[in-house]
Amino acid sequence: MAYGIQLQGITQCYPDPSGEGEITIIEGLDLCIAEPNITMLLGPSGSGKSTILKMMGGVRPYGVVTPSGGTVSINGELCTGEHPDAVMVFQHYWNRPDLTIAQNVALPFRLGLWKGRVSENEQKERVTWAMKMCGLEHRADNRPAQLSGGQNQRVAIARALALKPKILLMDEPFGALDAQTRKEMQALLIQLRAETGCHVVFVTHDVEEALLVGDRIVVLSTHRPSDIALDFNLIDPKPRDDLWLRSTRIGKIETEVFRALSGEGSPKDLRELGVEVNR
Amino acid sequence: MWNPHQPLSKSTRYGLAGSSYLLVLLVWSAIAFFELASSNALPAPWEVAQGFMVLASYNEAKESYLLVDATIASVTRIGLATLLVTSIGIPVGILMGSSPKINAVVGPLLDPFRSAPIVSVLPILVIWMGIDEALKVAFLVLGSVVYLVPMTRDAIVAVPREAYISLKDLGATDLEAIRHGVLPMAMPRIWDAVTVAVSIMWTYITVAEYVNADSGLGQLITHAKRFSAMDQVFAGILVIILLALITNISLVAAKRALFPWETE
Repeated sequence: MAYGIQLQGITQCYPDPSGEGEITIIEGLDLCIAEPNITMLLGPSGSGKSTILKMMGGVRPYGVVTPSGGTVSINGELCTGEHPDAVMVFQHYWNRPDLTIAQNVALPFRLGLWKGRVSENEQKERVTWAMKMCGLEHRADNRPAQLSGGQNQRVAIARALALKPKILLMDEPFGALDAQTRKEMQALLIQLRAETGCHVVFVTHDVEEALLVGDRIVVLSTHRPSDIALDFNLIDPKPRDDLWLRSTRIGKIETEVFRALSGEGSPKDLRELGVEVNR
Repeated sequence: MWNPHQPLSKSTRYGLAGSSYLLVLLVWSAIAFFELASSNALPAPWEVAQGFMVLASYNEAKESYLLVDATIASVTRIGLATLLVTSIGIPVGILMGSSPKINAVVGPLLDPFRSAPIVSVLPILVIWMGIDEALKVAFLVLGSVVYLVPMTRDAIVAVPREAYISLKDLGATDLEAIRHGVLPMAMPRIWDAVTVAVSIMWTYITVAEYVNADSGLGQLITHAKRFSAMDQVFAGILVIILLALITNISLVAAKRALFPWETE
C-alpha cells in the first residue's frame, strides 16, 4: 500500500456547551489520502474540519478523546498520539519571542525526539535550508517581534519544514494574514510542496483558497453530524491566478462547491466540468 | 486626560512625580508650621531631617554608625530570605502551574494563607524557632512565599495554550513542552512575582525585627519609639521606603535587561 493517511469510521463527540449530554459533530467518516498532494479540507465553522486535522496530527488540545470512534492510521500504522511523520502549522502561529528566528526554526532540535534522530551537522544544514526555502535567510538574527505576521507564519512553516515531515498539516495557516501576504504564502506553499514532495492537508473555510491551492478538495457539509459532501481532484496547473479563478468553468465549480456546503450539491454536475470526482 | 494608553514623555512623568512629592512636603510643612498637629504625632520635615542626621552620624555611646549597621542587617536578612523564598517558591509554583492535579492538592492548602493574618503567626514561630536570626528570616519567607507561589503558578497558567500545543506538536514530551515552550514565556511574570515578594518583605521587616530587637532598621524604629523620638521613627520609616523603592527600581531594570523581548 502506498504511503498515506487513512481515516476509518471516524466519529467525534464533544460535551455539549450547555453541560448536558454530548453533541456528535462527525459520524462514520471515511477518508483516505494516498497521493502526495495538497488536500484541502473545506467546510464551514463547526463542521469538524480542524478536529479531523488534529486527529491526523494526534493533537488533543481540549482534553477530549479524539476520535470518539473509528481509527486513524498513518502508513498503515494505527495512530494513537502524536506521529513523528506529521507536523502541524496553526493559524495562530507561535514563535518564542525570546529566541532569534534561526533559533526558533531550530527549536525542535532541542527536543529529545529530534536530537537523537538528526545529527548536529544536519540540524544546521536543515535550518539553513528551511529558512532559505521560506525566504528568511536574511532574518536569522531578528526576533519574532521585529517581523510581520506573514513573516512569522513563514518561521512556523520553516520550523515544520526543518523536520522534513512526510505530512504537513495546516490549520487555516493563512487565516490571520492580509490578502496580499496570503497570496504570497499560498504561492510559497505550492512551491514548497512541489520541492519537498510531502503530503499537505490544509484546512480552510475559504472556497477561493481551496480552489487556488488544492489538488484535491474535500468538502464537509454544514449539517450535523457532518459528512463529506463532495470530494474531487482539481488537476488544473499551478500557479492559478485570478483570471483562472474568474473563468466560467471555475465559477461553475465554485457554485457546485457552495451547493455541497449547504447540502445540495451533486457530483454528477461536477463531472461535466472536467473534474475527477472521488465521491 | 482619560486615555489609559496615552504615552507620557520622561520629563512630564518625572515632573508630575516630583510635584506630587513636593505637594506632600508642602502640606506636611504647613501642618507643622501652623502647629495643626503636635510634634509628637507628626514631627516637622526639618525635625525628621535632623532625626535622620542623628541616626546617620557616628554614635559615640555605641561606637558605631547606627543607620549603616541597621541597613546592612536588614538588607542581609531580606537578601537571605529572598534566596530562600525563590528557591522554594518558584519550583513549587511552577509545579502547581504545570499540573492541575498538583495544583488541586497544594492550592487549597496554600491559597487561604494569602489572606491569613501572617503577623499573628509570629508567636507560634517564636515557639518553634526561638528568637534568633532564623526566626526573622523564616518570618520574612513565610510572609512572602504565600504570594510568590500562587503568582508563579498564575504566570505559568497565563501562558497562551499555543505555546504548549505547538511544542507538543513538534514531538516534545509533556515536560519538554513546559521546559521549552511554557516556562520561557512565563519568566517575565515570574520575575514580577519575585519583585512583589521582595516588596512584601520590606513591609514585614519591622515586624520581623520587633522580636528580640538586636539589630536592623526595625530595631532602630522600635528603639526610637521607646524614647518617643518620633523624628527618628519617621526617618527610619522613610529609609525603609527608600530602600524598598531602590530594590523595586533595580528589579524592574533587571527585568528589562533580562527579558528585552517582552518590551520590544
